[in-house]
Amino acid sequence: MSNTVKITDIINGDTAVSTSEGNSIYALINENLKNKRVVIVDFEGVKFLTTAFLNAALGQLYSNTYSSEFLNEHLKIRNVTKSNVSMFEIVITRAKEYFRDKDGFEGTADSSLYGK
Amino acid sequence: MIIKILTDVRSRYDGYKSLTGSFDIACKLKSEIVILDFEAVQFFDANLCAILGAYIEIFKNNDNRVQISNLKNSIRTVFRKNAFLNEFDEEILDDIHSTSIKYRKFIPSDDHAFKNYVKTELLGKNDFPSHSLLLGQKIIENIFELYENARTHGQCDFIHTCGQYFPQHESKPLRFTIVDTGVNIKENVSAYLVKDIKSTDAIQWAIQKGNTTKSGSIPGGLGLDIIFQFIKLNNGKIQIVSSDGFWEYKNGYINTQMLDFSFRGTIANLEFNLNDNNHYHLSDEKYDMDVDNLF
Repeated sequence: MSNTVKITDIINGDTAVSTSEGNSIYALINENLKNKRVVIVDFEGVKFLTTAFLNAALGQLYSNTYSSEFLNEHLKIRNVTKSNVSMFEIVITRAKEYFRDKDGFEGTADSSLYGK
Repeated sequence: MIIKILTDVRSRYDGYKSLTGSFDIACKLKSEIVILDFEAVQFFDANLCAILGAYIEIFKNNDNRVQISNLKNSIRTVFRKNAFLNEFDEEILDDIHSTSIKYRKFIPSDDHAFKNYVKTELLGKNDFPSHSLLLGQKIIENIFELYENARTHGQCDFIHTCGQYFPQHESKPLRFTIVDTGVNIKENVSAYLVKDIKSTDAIQWAIQKGNTTKSGSIPGGLGLDIIFQFIKLNNGKIQIVSSDGFWEYKNGYINTQMLDFSFRGTIANLEFNLNDNNHYHLSDEKYDMDVDNLF
C-alpha cells in the first residue's frame, strides 16, 4: 500500500523552488513515513527545481531518526529529469553531512578560514 | 539635501564604490527631502536600479522624501522602460526590443509574485535563450536559488530586483541584480562563527560548498556554490557586495576588494552568458531514479 505525492499538484505549478513549498512536501512525506507507509514522490511536470526546495522537501528528512535503509525502502522518487539527477545526489549527500555533526562544521569553517 | 552621484555607474567595483560612497551620508538623514542628483552620470547600468531601489527603501524608512534630478534623457528612457521611474510616477515606456527585466520589489513571504515575475520578464522574452532550452532553465534556477538565499538569510522587509539583457553583444550577457537591506553576510557569518571577520572573508566563506549559517532542521550550504559552479561553466560573472566587502568571480579569477563605505544589506549581481555553447545535458527524457542508493 503506497501513497503518491505529486509535486506539481501540491505546489500548483511546475516551479519547485522555495523553502516553504519544500516544507509542504516534507510534511506530506513525513506523515506517511511516521506511519511506515511507502510514499512515492512524483516529479513529473516539474520544470524548475532548486536545492532550496530539495533541502526542505528531502534533506530535512534526516532531521528525524529515519535510517538510510528505511528511507530507501519507503520513499520512492519518480520522474526526475536527467539534468536534475545530480542535484538530488548533492542535496542528499549534503544533508547527511549537515546532520552528522553540526558542531564539527564550525571547526571545519575555522580551519578553512583561519588555518586553525 | 542634494546627494550627487559623482561618476558613471557600471556593474564593477568602481560602480559599487560610487553608489555606496554617494549614498552613505543620506542613510543617516531623517525626515528630509533627499534629492538624488544624476548630473555627472552619463551611463548607469540598468540592472543596478535594484540598488537604487534598496537605498530609496532605506531613505523612506527614515521618513525622508526622495526625488531624482538631472537625469540624462538616455538614462531616463532606460529607467522608464524598466519601470524604475514608476516609483516617481513616471509612465512606463514600451520596451520594444524586450531587453529590460523590470525593476520590482518583493515582500519575502510572497512566493508567487517572484515566480510570476521570472516567468513574465525572462521566460516571456522571445530571444531567451535563442539556442538552448536547458541553458535557459539553468539560468532561471540559478536566479531562484539566489532569490531564495536572500529570503532565507536577509531577514528583510523587501527584496529588490532588476535586470538587463544585451542580445546584440557577442556573448549576449544577461545581468540580474538582487538586493536586500537586511542582515548582511558579514553579520550572519560573524554571528555564526562567534568572531568578527572581514566582510570579504565572510563572503568567501559563504560561497564555499557546505558552509551555511543555518542551524535548524533544514540543511543548507549549497545554493551559492551551485550558482558559482554554473557561472564558472557558463563563463559568466558573479559579484557580491555585503557590508564593505566586494567579491567577484570572472574569467577564472576571484577578486576581492574593500569599499570605503558599507552597504547595510547584500547586493548580488549575476551575469550570464547566453551565447554559451557548452554541452549541457540535452536530453530531458524522464526516467525513474536509482532509488536504492539515493538515501
